[in-house]
Amino acid sequence: MQLEANHISYGYSPKETVLHDVSLSLKTGETLYILGRNGSGKTTLLSCLAGLLEPDMGEIVLDRKPLGEIRPVERSQLIGLIPQSHIPAFAYSVEEMVMMGRAPYLSWLGSPTKEDQIIVAEALEQVGLSDFRERPYTQISGGERQLVLIARGLAQKCQILLMDEPTAHLDLSNQHRILEIVQQLSQQGLSFIISTHAPNDALSYADKVLLLTGGWVTKYGPPKETLTEALLSSVYGIRTEVIYQNDSGKPIPRAVVPRRPEVISPESLDKPGSLLSDVFIRSKEQPQLIIVTGLSGAGKTTWCSRLIKTARSQDLVVRGILSPGIYKGGKKIGIAVEDLDTGDKRKLANLREKGETDLTTPRWSFNLQAIKWANHILGTIQESDLVVIDELGPLEFIRNKGLTEGLALIDEKRFRVASVVVRSSLLPTVLQRWPNALVVSGRVD
Amino acid sequence: MNDLKRSLSKKFLTIIPIILAAALFVFSLTIGRYPIGSYDVLRVLISPFFPSLSMDIPDVAKQLILRVRLPRILGALLVGASMGGTGTALQAIFKNPLVDSNILGVTSGAGFGAAIALLLQSSPWQVQLSAFIFGLTAVLLAFLGSRLYKSTPLLVLTLMGILVGSLFSSLTSLLKYIADPLDTLPAITFWLLGSLTSLTWSNLIILSGMTLLGTFFLWLIRWRLNVLSLGDDEAKTLGINPIQMKLWIIVVTTLMTASAVSVSGVIGWVGLVIPHAGRLLVGPDHKYLMPASIGLGAVFLILIDDIARTLLPGEIPLGVLTGLIGVPLLMVLLRRNRPGW
Repeated sequence: MQLEANHISYGYSPKETVLHDVSLSLKTGETLYILGRNGSGKTTLLSCLAGLLEPDMGEIVLDRKPLGEIRPVERSQLIGLIPQSHIPAFAYSVEEMVMMGRAPYLSWLGSPTKEDQIIVAEALEQVGLSDFRERPYTQISGGERQLVLIARGLAQKCQILLMDEPTAHLDLSNQHRILEIVQQLSQQGLSFIISTHAPNDALSYADKVLLLTGGWVTKYGPPKETLTEALLSSVYGIRTEVIYQNDSGKPIPRAVVPRRPEVISPESLDKPGSLLSDVFIRSKEQPQLIIVTGLSGAGKTTWCSRLIKTARSQDLVVRGILSPGIYKGGKKIGIAVEDLDTGDKRKLANLREKGETDLTTPRWSFNLQAIKWANHILGTIQESDLVVIDELGPLEFIRNKGLTEGLALIDEKRFRVASVVVRSSLLPTVLQRWPNALVVSGRVD
Repeated sequence: MNDLKRSLSKKFLTIIPIILAAALFVFSLTIGRYPIGSYDVLRVLISPFFPSLSMDIPDVAKQLILRVRLPRILGALLVGASMGGTGTALQAIFKNPLVDSNILGVTSGAGFGAAIALLLQSSPWQVQLSAFIFGLTAVLLAFLGSRLYKSTPLLVLTLMGILVGSLFSSLTSLLKYIADPLDTLPAITFWLLGSLTSLTWSNLIILSGMTLLGTFFLWLIRWRLNVLSLGDDEAKTLGINPIQMKLWIIVVTTLMTASAVSVSGVIGWVGLVIPHAGRLLVGPDHKYLMPASIGLGAVFLILIDDIARTLLPGEIPLGVLTGLIGVPLLMVLLRRNRPGW
């Protein structure tokens, strides 16, 4: 048995393509995990593979036969889809629910026979639910419902089972139970394609992993090559850390955990061995990017100015821009921009009034001349030890306007150490662009 | 062993309503303002084949049984069975236990058809035909209306059914407004309240044909209704073509309902209540629920019709009784059957 998807694309409407050029292949007994953020196209991909949706481009081939040419009944004898569990309108018993897996084998007008009942009993036995056969499916727990759907997939006697987030909303023990059952079944020759939000499941159980970002394949391959810190950071837009276990001298990846923003004092640059001073040491070999993040008003600009002060006290050359708020009566009424080289200041933004131009955010209306000036500063930085850009916001990352020279400077790595201020809400976007950055909490105590 | 016992008891429970319907059928022939003993009834029933057996029974009784009571009770049986079956099938495919045969506007369309024929002083046969045709027209309109939209056809179809239903109800009201208050208005009003009074053998031709073929179809596909009730995507991954199957079911139930309503007038609640009673008896598995609902529907409507013709000196309209009995019954059933449906 071999299932292949060759360069498939799918869109629910012509304007909006959900899957782009996805390819994968699956052999007997293999388990393929699909990982990606919400809305990245996992469920759509499973629906295509199950034959529910027909790809707009590319083709899905099962044993050299295009999936579209296989009759629906035959297809459902080969590929089963285990949906996310939901509650049906009628309170079928567990046994009746599993019995529905026999539908592909019954004629148009037929009802289940003795033989079907034996198959259903075996399937329930395999997932350990024999005692539940008469319980209403609507009244058992979520984990048990998921097991019932797996039993239905088993009663369907197919070669490939597609599972849509089988462990979602389940407690630790039920997650483990389901994953172990899947593992044992795959050893018996069943193939699985599983979409999940748990990279750790993929780390422990996958033969192959497909990483999806916005419908595009970020990476496809064995877990070792796909579940890396850089790729996961880019897929999920958070910093992640892969934790290894060193058994018998061979490091085995065991867990993926998100990494929280580091809480660092800007003055720790002075202290040898601190995270910040290490950054400056490493920057001699390759550029080091620091993302200073936090909610608005958290103190990101203050954190940067303290870092600048400490850096200058060590005779480091600091360039870039700082944009402190302009306050009046305790209210922020504007934003200034300061050239860190010359100390010149200009007014960058005022509170937004009526009307909208290219350079407005919901709150601020930016001064085109000041932006040009700031871009000129960022575009002409020559030699520096530390570049500070305060700040890059939605204007830059989403609309590609505003301080575009700042984006270019980081993209082209024209710096030794750069400290870029970014608000929390943009962090996922920023990390997808620059996955290797050190994320620092811009909080001042 | 336990398995065998369980499935036996379910099968037994499924047969009960059918046996009950048969017994009630004979019993109903005996009651009325002119009581006839059940032995005599049985003798009269076989008298066409063995005339010698019923020589001593008065001719009035014979005529009463064969020409009045028999077609009427047979009609009640067929209409009830039809409504129980269609209600069950439609609740399954609409995945909604609050649906009945009128979901797509058949009854309202048929009501309008009957009203227009009655207004034109047509013969009973023409009234029946007009009701039947307009019942089908209503569903066809709802279906064509839903084709204007591309997404979620079933939801749009339901909405269109409600819209077309109200449209025909308004048209019926208009006809009642312009009808002669001494002559055609009462006729329209009584028709809309539902009655089996005027049933004769000739009315039963379409009804019995449609009901027998339709219930047989529903009985054949009964297990597949389980799969359809899970939704289109799951049905598809289980190898069933849900769109085609649902279309068939809608066509069959519409024909059944239109033929039933065209002889009985508007009788509400049966298609909604009976499937719930069936679920209480045999559970939600349509393999058993479908035959149980068909039987229970027949039992219920024969019983209601018996009450309608015997309780008061005059006839009580059927639609009134099904409402008066069906609504409290549904309340009790919903309470008993609370967890899940």
